[in-house]
Amino acid sequence: MVGSGKLTKRTLNLYLPLTAFVIFLLFPFYWMIIVSLKPTPDLFDLKFNPFWIQHFTLENYFYLFQNTDFPEWVMNTIIVTVSATSISLVCSVLIGYALARLRFPGSNFLGVGIFLAYLVPPTLLFLPLAQVIATLGLYNTYWALILTYPTQLIPFASWLLMGYFRTIPKEIEESAMADGCTRLATLVRIILPLSVPGLLSAGIFCFTLCWNEFLYALIFMSSGPMKTIPVGTVSDLIKADTLFWGALMASAVLGSFPIAILYSFFVKHYVSGLTAGAVKG
Amino acid sequence: MDEQKKGKGHSSLSALLTTPVSRRGLIKAGGIAAVGLAAGGSLPRQVFGQAPAAIKGTKLAILQGTYFIPTAQDLYKKQAQEWGKASGVTVATDFLNWPDLQPKIAAAVQAGGVDIIELWPVWNFLYQNSLLDLTDMAEEVGRKGGGYETFVLNSCKVKGRYLGIPFGHSGTAVNYRISWFKEAGVANADDGRKLDMTWDEYFAIGKKLKAKGKPFGQALGHSTGDPQSFCYPYMWCNGAMEVEKDGKTVAFNKPQFVDAMKRFIQAWKDAYDETGTSWDDSNNNRAFLAEQISSTINGASIYWVAQKNHPAIAKDTNHMLFPRGPAGRFYQMGSRTFAILKNSKNIPAAKEFLKWWFQDKQYDEWWRLQGGYHLQHTLRLAKDSMWDKDIKMTSFREQPKYGRLQGYAGDPTEKASLAWSKYIVVDTYAKAVQSGDATGAIKWGAEQLQRIYG
Amino acid sequence: MTEEGNRPSPASVPFGEVCFIMAVGLSPAAESLPSRGGILARAKNLLERQASLGIILMIPGVILLMVFMAYPFFLGIWLSMSDSMIGRIGRFIGLRNFADLLTDSIFLQTMRNTFTYALITVPFKAVLGLGLALALNNRMRFSNPMRAVVMMPWIVPTALSTLGWFMIFDPVFSPISWLLRQMGVINKNINFLGDPGLAISMLCLVNIWRGIPFFGITILAGLQAVPQELHEAAAIDGANAWHRFRHVTIPAIKGIALIASLLSIIWTFADFQLIYILTKGGPANQTHIFGTYAYQIGLSATEIGMGAAIALYMFPILSVFAMLLLMYLRKED
Repeated sequence: MVGSGKLTKRTLNLYLPLTAFVIFLLFPFYWMIIVSLKPTPDLFDLKFNPFWIQHFTLENYFYLFQNTDFPEWVMNTIIVTVSATSISLVCSVLIGYALARLRFPGSNFLGVGIFLAYLVPPTLLFLPLAQVIATLGLYNTYWALILTYPTQLIPFASWLLMGYFRTIPKEIEESAMADGCTRLATLVRIILPLSVPGLLSAGIFCFTLCWNEFLYALIFMSSGPMKTIPVGTVSDLIKADTLFWGALMASAVLGSFPIAILYSFFVKHYVSGLTAGAVKG
Repeated sequence: MDEQKKGKGHSSLSALLTTPVSRRGLIKAGGIAAVGLAAGGSLPRQVFGQAPAAIKGTKLAILQGTYFIPTAQDLYKKQAQEWGKASGVTVATDFLNWPDLQPKIAAAVQAGGVDIIELWPVWNFLYQNSLLDLTDMAEEVGRKGGGYETFVLNSCKVKGRYLGIPFGHSGTAVNYRISWFKEAGVANADDGRKLDMTWDEYFAIGKKLKAKGKPFGQALGHSTGDPQSFCYPYMWCNGAMEVEKDGKTVAFNKPQFVDAMKRFIQAWKDAYDETGTSWDDSNNNRAFLAEQISSTINGASIYWVAQKNHPAIAKDTNHMLFPRGPAGRFYQMGSRTFAILKNSKNIPAAKEFLKWWFQDKQYDEWWRLQGGYHLQHTLRLAKDSMWDKDIKMTSFREQPKYGRLQGYAGDPTEKASLAWSKYIVVDTYAKAVQSGDATGAIKWGAEQLQRIYG
Repeated sequence: MTEEGNRPSPASVPFGEVCFIMAVGLSPAAESLPSRGGILARAKNLLERQASLGIILMIPGVILLMVFMAYPFFLGIWLSMSDSMIGRIGRFIGLRNFADLLTDSIFLQTMRNTFTYALITVPFKAVLGLGLALALNNRMRFSNPMRAVVMMPWIVPTALSTLGWFMIFDPVFSPISWLLRQMGVINKNINFLGDPGLAISMLCLVNIWRGIPFFGITILAGLQAVPQELHEAAAIDGANAWHRFRHVTIPAIKGIALIASLLSIIWTFADFQLIYILTKGGPANQTHIFGTYAYQIGLSATEIGMGAAIALYMFPILSVFAMLLLMYLRKED
């Protein structure tokens, strides 16, 4: 293996395209970071090179913490996201298992129904939904979101988990049940451990969607300190016809990088879980 | 004065968690501590009068759009808390980004959750079925203020009734750079109060300035403020309107307007920054403060920010009245109102609060803090000394005289709102400047208006 | 060349939809245990029998979906067939809203825009996602941080990342305009969001940017599941990189890529936040899609009946794509 030839080939086929991707995908984040570290007058001074920082400042981050309820937004978002994801995963595991392994009356109908539920857009649902939320007295409470987000998450997560459950050979469960294990026990002790990659995929998907969500969070829970990060950012940092770009970008940065770091751990398990599955098979 | 009954010491957050809005009315005295308060606090009885005992311990939710002037928003919050403390009512004030207001109001109208809402002009027509009739209170406010301004009278009565109490609106003027106007040979450029020109004269100035790299700026995108501030008046100034007085006959496709549109298309190329078709309400502010444009139609927000961050530009900035056309001078302007939703669970407290807030002491302080950014609702304030503090702001007080609302010459009904929300008038201009075809664009606009009004 | 063994290949693992119909149709035969007396025993019995257990397990999720989705959905259907406005319950008018929309030139433009938006972005996302997946499929340093980092566009709340793009596309302050002007390529600022052709292109660009990670990571999982032996076997047989790509890689990920594409079409059709922040459907309705137009009519103009009708127009179209998906899955059995 000749050294330099291999390196150039690798550079051409791998590093160049990869670099291009990374630049395209990350440039807006680079932009968000440097905007958040510049003082506002600099942003609109056309003499300056917009790609560098001329005067480094943390004032936007201070503004975010001192003049807005940013910490509350983060807490609200975490509470809603973790709870809604948990509920969705539990429901999806149950539904996925039921549709993958069990035959029961109405399974066809329910299966297709859940599939179709996926096609209904929130922009249609939110107004009638507001009525439901009000009737149940959930307005401006965490429950308003914790109970409505799963409707956007369960359909997709159920399919995902159904697929994982299907790939587990029935023989394992059948032998366990022949040994006296109940069905539910096989679900918990056999199927779930083998479906960790699926659970992670579903979990990541649910988490992202909840963290991202805007419309329901705006309508059902946005009074006073009860705002999530996207809603709070838009409502408090856009004043009439003036956008506070520095603080806006600071909020975007702080609201997303911790998640990215969290993801880097999960991605490792996600992909390795799949490859482990391949090797085992 | 009423002592504040301490609750269980819940934080505001848990109070919101454990006391859903729909049970508000059932919570009696001995319950919740007011939001963010220290204990005690009594205020002179004569300031607040006798708050009815029935509202003690209840909650009130107020929804508004975010203020441009943060100190005024903070003052409003402070005033609301003051009143709440003294009356034993927990007041929550929420401020949302302007485009997000309507969905929130829609949800509140359908399902409750808000007591007092800020209505922009025409919204009192849109939501009329859901608003409490406040005619008595509103007429009282008008009477005490020496009569309402023209734009209030033109915009706030729905079938003769006040469905909210008018409180004025933010102003809108032609902002311009003094030194650059001087370069273009405008006499009296120093004093905006003396400038009185026609649209064609205004365009001519722009042509000279664009040639020097300093064009005018105008938003023609899908935004709720600046585009309409220009498009509707220019249409009215040139003899066209959406409908006749009967509210049915579309009067948009008039030859004078087509000609005027042709001149505007030319001006767009000669005098304006042509990226304006993508501008929303915030672009012209940024462009002006970055010295990229020499004149634009905007409220006082540009000048206000300039005074804080760009003093040199502030010194060189002034305001003038809108140019006029053959049919006169017009502003697309109505008054906003504070309304009470019919499905509110706390109407007595809402009424008490509004009665209190519209008293001179509260309103005047709030209004003066904005330094002319917000136009007055009553004639008394048109003569207020605040207007003389900064002569660059003085011309603003004239604006309410010229205010007309969408739907002119008919009433500002929901049809006018539909035409507004569909951006029909604004899109007519956008199409015209994109295609260069004034006749075709106006024809399209007229057809769209016919679908709505006809 | 197939990868069938006793066990279905993990290549089909990431998406349950592959097995959805199989699962529904081929569940093992019901078992039953001998019934015993007593309530506890009865309960245990219920939990053992497939028929009852199945229903019990479905209940939590189904209840949530019924209360918070099905019921509002049917309410929405009723709204679309009425002339309701916000705060005013209307009368039933049948399909008149739907018929009116077909004569509304703005609505027809909205339909065209939505199809353009979805049918342009999805192929780009798929191809670029494939490229990204191929790149990430190589052993290299920092592969895990790299994989996390490329997911960023998808992770960050759309409401916030789109504001960043809004700034990048600013008519006066865009850094891209600045750069191109410095390089002498242009002499006027680019009207990214105000020029008719550019506006929808920029929206597609941001949508593609946001969607690449989804395709990338998903196809990557599929690529990783292709056993190394297959590549080695093909290489021994004399296949070069391109042949291996065509005959080993592509078949392995075809299923996943197609499913991801169909899902992406559905999501893109129903998009809202991105367009709303950047253009709100302007200039002159050239970037309106179903979601934004429904919002404008239903909420700004308060014609909620008409707004619901606009939103529901999406449903049959999305169902067609969904049926295509189902048909493909059935075929693969």
